[in-house]
Amino acid sequence: MAHDVLDTVVAAETPEGILLELRPAGLSARFSAFALDFLVRILIAYGAFVVAIPLMGRFSLGLLLVLVFLLEWFYPVVFELSRSGATPGKSMFGIKVVMDNGLPVTPAASFTRNLLRVADFLPLLFGAGIVSMLLRQDSKRLGDLAAATIVVHQLQRPPKVKLDGVAPVSPAVLLAPSDQAALVALAARAPTLTAERLDELAALAAPVSGDGGRAGPNVTRRVLGVAQWAMGKRR
Amino acid sequence: MTPLAFEALYQAEWQELEELLDLVLKRTSVKSKEPLRGERIAALYRRACEHLALARARSYPAYLLDRLERLTADAHQVIYQQREFGAAALWRIVARDFPRAVRANHAYVWLATALFAIPMVVVGFIVYFHPNLILSVVDGEAAAQFEQMYSRSGGAIGRVRDAGDDWTMFGFYIRNNIGVAFQCFASGIAAGVLSIFMIAYNGAMAGAVAGYLTERGLAETFFSFVVTHAAFELTAIVLAGAAGLKLGHSLLAPGRRTRRQSLVQAASECVVLLYGITAMLIVAAAFEAFWSSSAWVPNEVKYGVAAVCWTVVLAYFTRQGRDAA
Repeated sequence: MAHDVLDTVVAAETPEGILLELRPAGLSARFSAFALDFLVRILIAYGAFVVAIPLMGRFSLGLLLVLVFLLEWFYPVVFELSRSGATPGKSMFGIKVVMDNGLPVTPAASFTRNLLRVADFLPLLFGAGIVSMLLRQDSKRLGDLAAATIVVHQLQRPPKVKLDGVAPVSPAVLLAPSDQAALVALAARAPTLTAERLDELAALAAPVSGDGGRAGPNVTRRVLGVAQWAMGKRR
Repeated sequence: MTPLAFEALYQAEWQELEELLDLVLKRTSVKSKEPLRGERIAALYRRACEHLALARARSYPAYLLDRLERLTADAHQVIYQQREFGAAALWRIVARDFPRAVRANHAYVWLATALFAIPMVVVGFIVYFHPNLILSVVDGEAAAQFEQMYSRSGGAIGRVRDAGDDWTMFGFYIRNNIGVAFQCFASGIAAGVLSIFMIAYNGAMAGAVAGYLTERGLAETFFSFVVTHAAFELTAIVLAGAAGLKLGHSLLAPGRRTRRQSLVQAASECVVLLYGITAMLIVAAAFEAFWSSSAWVPNEVKYGVAAVCWTVVLAYFTRQGRDAA
């Protein structure tokens, strides 16, 4: 199935026997996050420069160099160990760092992956890191490999589904959880679609309300009714 | 049991867990008056895991699964959060783990020492006898700068600097030296080849400068300057190289592990070395900026302090942390 080939979900099992789904973040999200973090670092350094030079005069240069050192090497470590597990750039793009088993990143692992950023930079402009991320299905760079960490998309709040006034309809066939999720996702998209397109899409799902082969506003209403049922509403 | 009955039955527990998690993750503005009960969160988490497994097995509606998945994922993060740092952990690293890690990896440490020391001594003697060869390592301008730096008059070392300059140099040494050490380690991931190069290169450079300045008759200012902080700086660079060699070796000869497992294992063993190396280089930078360069200290005192430093460092790595449990 195409689903298996394309999907990059990594399953991590907890000691309680529950499978957590980790969705690795790819090159584009991580590059955007990196670029934003880079900007933040430059702004911090520049801000410190502007404030410190008039205030402290010649003492400030040494302290600024220490600050630059900390920004270079420890800026990601500090943020990754915070509660959110993400630098400002990462949280802006909805990604964060976790251990391979889905646990929050440990100080040692965060230290390792950020030191090995140098290795990812080789031979130039993050060549090794980019190649590694593109080749691997879990999009790990070398630092992630050595530290046993993975950068994942944060769980997103499910979109608000507005189905007021749609009467719940019991499904005509047994629906697997993934089928139900597809119906709820359709209901969530409904307000953004034209009525005609919504009818077309609902017609594809028509068998769930026993309307297989038919189409039209009434079918759409019943399909959305099944979505309403899948969301827990009962008559 | 219908999904609705299931939900009605366990709703209260999920809600309690959600509220506790909101408190822990500071997602609400509500402040709890009583201390947080961790054991209650753990108990509710295990219950929620059971419920999620049941709901999945019974193909309950998506909204239920979604809520339980979110709940268990959040609780999992909170419960298994690891906090390794704190004063006790730092003390354990200094008093025990770091020197033990150095001894446990003595083969890499000796190899790195040889890779550093041999080029240093060889290049040092070559440049001493053929001073012109310094130009094959650095350009003429840099050579002149070294000479000027360590000359008795007007150089940066011989003169009494003011405190502002000391701080500037401290910042410079921190940024530069720790950066070099981290690179020595990280480049080990290229099968160790780059680490070997970086250690040998740094050794050769140190030897070249020492040989050149000795030939110029500046040995006194040069050695009195470097000998103290070298106890921390050179050892730290060699240890960083050793960590890089270990990383490279883990990839070249993974033994009975996969290469990836072997790398993860080696990297996790190297972390404590890197903590120690960082601390040593901060000490080295402080010595280099505030002590080594101070002109008011007679050279005899500097050599005495250097002897103490070298003894302390070597004794630390050979003796410290052997008996403690």
